[in-house]
Amino acid sequence: MATASGVLEAGSARPVGGGVPPRAGVRVELDQCERRFGEVAALDGFSLAIEPGELVALLGPSGCGKTTALRALAGLEQLDSGEVRIGGSDVTAVPPNRRGLGMVFQAYSLFPNMTALENVGFGLRLRKLVASERRRRAHDLLDLVGLGAQSGRFPHELSGGQQQRVALARALAVEPRVLLLDEPLSALDAKVRAQLRDEIRRIQLEMGITTLFVTHDQEEALSMADRVGVMASGRLQQVGSPDEVYERPVNAFVAEFVGSVSRVPATVGAGATVEVLGRSVPLPAGQAAFAPGSRVDVLLRPESFAVHADRDGLGLVVRRAFLGPVMHAVVALPGPVEIVATLPSSAAGEVVVGSAVRVEATGSPLFVTEPRPEAR
Amino acid sequence: MAALTLPGRRTTRGAPTRAEFRVGGWARSIVLLCTAMYFLVPVVASARYALEGAHGTYTLAAVTALFHDPVLLQSLLTSVEISLGAAGITLVLLTPTSVWVNLRMPRLRRAMESLTLLPLVVPVVVVVLGIYGAFPTAVVASPVLLALEYVVLAMPYSYRAIDGGVQALDLHTLVDAGRSLGASWPETFRRVLVPNLRTSLLSAAFITIAYSLGEFAMANLLSFTTFPTELFQIGTEQVDEATAVSVFALVLTFAVLLGLSLLGGRRRAGGLRRGATLSVGGGDGIAAEVDAVLGHVDPGVPGIVHETREVP
Ligand SMILES: Nc1ncnc2c1ncn2[C@@H]1O[C@H](COP(=O)(O)OP(=O)(O)OP(=O)(O)O)[C@@H](O)[C@H]1O
Ligand SMILES: [Mg+2]
Repeated sequence: MATASGVLEAGSARPVGGGVPPRAGVRVELDQCERRFGEVAALDGFSLAIEPGELVALLGPSGCGKTTALRALAGLEQLDSGEVRIGGSDVTAVPPNRRGLGMVFQAYSLFPNMTALENVGFGLRLRKLVASERRRRAHDLLDLVGLGAQSGRFPHELSGGQQQRVALARALAVEPRVLLLDEPLSALDAKVRAQLRDEIRRIQLEMGITTLFVTHDQEEALSMADRVGVMASGRLQQVGSPDEVYERPVNAFVAEFVGSVSRVPATVGAGATVEVLGRSVPLPAGQAAFAPGSRVDVLLRPESFAVHADRDGLGLVVRRAFLGPVMHAVVALPGPVEIVATLPSSAAGEVVVGSAVRVEATGSPLFVTEPRPEAR
Repeated sequence: MAALTLPGRRTTRGAPTRAEFRVGGWARSIVLLCTAMYFLVPVVASARYALEGAHGTYTLAAVTALFHDPVLLQSLLTSVEISLGAAGITLVLLTPTSVWVNLRMPRLRRAMESLTLLPLVVPVVVVVLGIYGAFPTAVVASPVLLALEYVVLAMPYSYRAIDGGVQALDLHTLVDAGRSLGASWPETFRRVLVPNLRTSLLSAAFITIAYSLGEFAMANLLSFTTFPTELFQIGTEQVDEATAVSVFALVLTFAVLLGLSLLGGRRRAGGLRRGATLSVGGGDGIAAEVDAVLGHVDPGVPGIVHETREVP
């Protein structure tokens, strides 16, 4: 929707303001980073490499260490061990003010005593740029984020979305080698968020700046990023293109965290197949290691189910959500197991809440895993 | 509104009646009047006493006489120097301390608050004896020492003013933002934190100045000739002149503080973030300043005279 068109139009969108030349990004590496806070390992052997000009979204549940990873890259957090390299050189011991990065924070971080223009010019003032040049550059950047008319306003006179735009302009003003964004949109309402998300991506592409974007919103991550890194308890679980992470998760955590899946008990059959809900379907590629006859859990996407109204079916429709062309149905099966299935809206007449249905697996599962120790 | 009505007059139905509101209004006026009288009567009486000439006439002789007293003027200069010094040291010492505690050791915040209250608990005489014991005579005679002492004595007020302002800032975010934009620690402090602490820092400075200008006991015990001690000296011989000077000092200080409050208020309305609690630090600070002034400059003559009589 808006996201896709925004990204597609990026090349032909408003040109970057005069004084802001497109920059070739640098390569960024975090290597075996460790950081503990008492008992908690916020980073536990965390490694990630970002290619020049690439936007990587770091996705993960709350408290998994995303902010810590970003701050370690910025130099705002000391590492217990590990190495940070920017453009090939080791910056682990370099203080944040000499790493040449731009950062946008989750909390509103504009300096309350300065106008939007002064905020954007702050980094340039530190770099001893003459006042006229500084003002010109700051104006260009405010134009870039669409706030040229608000340059004289103080932060308290700007909306949340406007403040984050100014913060973005401020971060970009110093022509950073790397742009770091820590959930900059999470305090904004859905509409502004989608808009600003597109805008960040457009500017990032135009400037070709290497970017790390932290979020716990998977839609944000999947729609914006060149690659998505999924993180859990201080470790990077998988990093890959959005479709890779979505279609070929490397473990059950990634499969369950990205997108919607249902967990269903199954039995491995002969010849790399698995018996799911009375149907034999092929095991996913690279997952043939289970011995025939072993009990497993399979993870299936909603579109891998077929749901038929059937008075003798064992499933019971618990909830339904109509989404236009398709609908989602939550079906309770014996086990007890609950699955989410996508079915065409044309079935809306028969598959209603409380009706009995028959459920079949129609496709290969996304992932096969050991059954959970405790039955749900 | 309801808080101002007298508890005994409350109707059982709960909502205050019209009459209650009127009583509330009266009660408020009376409270305000009494408070005003409490502060104004001594000042007016002192002023009258100082200006009264022979046979019920009024004369400015006492006021003009004070400008021709070189010792008094010198003592005023000394006091101003010491109080400015004390204010400067206060800002330089306490601002980084408060920032550091809030940023890096938030668990020590409570402990710091208690620690800075200690000067209120330890009597000045005890401190003076400690100073005599701890330092050689040459050091004890230096006005720098007196300035340092005033930093400590005014700390219960000044630290609170600064700390209130620091706590009202989103310190972590501002510091991180400054640092990531290329500011070194000193630059972050000077360009990001100090401008946003302006009101609190002004408050702290003025509390310290007001305290130092009016402090008598410590200066007297350490044998300094400061404005209050000289005033006391004059008071033993020419009471009307001393009274004139103290009234003059009081009015002047009050005018300065009022000006500062107005300035602080305007600043807040202008540049700073709406809803930011900078006013908490600033507001409390001003109140504390007025306390400090009324508690120390005003009793310059009558209050402290009593106190010193008890000290042999
Ligand atoms: N300064 C700190 N002191 C103590 N523990 C900390 C500190 N900073 C982070 N932690 C802990 O480290 C872990 C990772 O924190 P981090 O802020 O990196 O998580 P996050 O992935 O950014 O979470 P969220 O999505 O909620 O922002 C958490 O368990 C957190 O409690
Ligand atoms: Mg975070």
